[in-house]
Amino acid sequence: MTQAQTGNTRVEWEGALVQRACAGDARAFERLYREHAGRVYGLCLRMTRDAQLAEDCTQDTFINAWRALSRFETRSSLSTWLHRIAVNVSLAKRRKSTPVVEPALEEEERPAAEWTLETPVEVAEIEDAIGELPDGARDALVLHALYGYSHGEAAQMLGIAEGTCKAQLHRARKLLRERLRVEVN
Amino acid sequence: MTEPRDERQVRSLRELPQAIEPQRDLWPGIEARISALPAAAPQAPGAHPLPVRGGGARLRWLAAAAMLASVAVGVWIGRSLLPAGGPGAAAAPATSPPGFAALSGASALDAAYVSDPRYQRQHAQLLRSLPARLAALPPPARAKVMASLAALTKAKEDLESALGKDPGNALLQELLVDTYQDEMRVLSDVQASDAGRGI
Repeated sequence: MTQAQTGNTRVEWEGALVQRACAGDARAFERLYREHAGRVYGLCLRMTRDAQLAEDCTQDTFINAWRALSRFETRSSLSTWLHRIAVNVSLAKRRKSTPVVEPALEEEERPAAEWTLETPVEVAEIEDAIGELPDGARDALVLHALYGYSHGEAAQMLGIAEGTCKAQLHRARKLLRERLRVEVN
Repeated sequence: MTEPRDERQVRSLRELPQAIEPQRDLWPGIEARISALPAAAPQAPGAHPLPVRGGGARLRWLAAAAMLASVAVGVWIGRSLLPAGGPGAAAAPATSPPGFAALSGASALDAAYVSDPRYQRQHAQLLRSLPARLAALPPPARAKVMASLAALTKAKEDLESALGKDPGNALLQELLVDTYQDEMRVLSDVQASDAGRGI
């Protein structure tokens, strides 16, 4: 089976699960949860930097998704849809726990590209460096560089202007470079 | 972050794992909260005309017949197909609320369900009597049943098509069996309604 076929099958069975969950089948919804929980929790954890808060955000994400599932278009990506909810939930929880005012930044145009490191770096070290970034820069970096969303998509998820998102990415790159002491391209 | 330290070396941020498993299973908490939501089933208009869970719109006869049919289908599955205490016992949604049963892997038993001659015989019998049963129903109920059966037929077709591409997919097999069981439940509802037990 080719990768494309596998992807199609995945979308088909995911669509079938969504349909069943829409009809109130919590068992089907549990399947969706099992499939997506890791990525949702990973996103929440990176955004909140707090395991307990990330667990709460993950639970709230799936509860909100359950409530809104009938509005989900099966043609679009369930993963992206869940990530949008997760970002909203994480931002709201974070605002509640530690209100932070982000400074305004100058915009910098930069094409979407993979963020590569000049020399290999330990995963844990990168995660630590990402965790130390200011919230706005970290949010943009996590969505764009780790989860592969475009500037526009990341900006939309975060409720900020695309230019601001790019500026946050520029800032994240600069800070990562300083903390990891390697060139980040 | 409290996860174990990952010492792998990477050269790109895309190589970082997107998924991080929570340290505990979050599903029980989610399940408890969604089951506590009033009329929480997120209905997709037109997609599944037969409600699976409670709600004000459910027809009385369906509610009553569903209970009888659940017992009937559950007993039928339990006594006719499954060995007592067999591994597939938990997989029959008719005997436990849909969605709240423990996950069980689809097995050869699931696949055997739909090809079992006894299932096929009973299914054929129900289908044969369906036109007469439908004719005896009030028009709104008849329309509801027909819409439900059409939705289930579509779901079966989708699942069979997906299984054609991925025949070994245990989840698809399990969903297909669930769908067949849902169909049996609807057909049994109709059968029960004729006896005046549900309408």
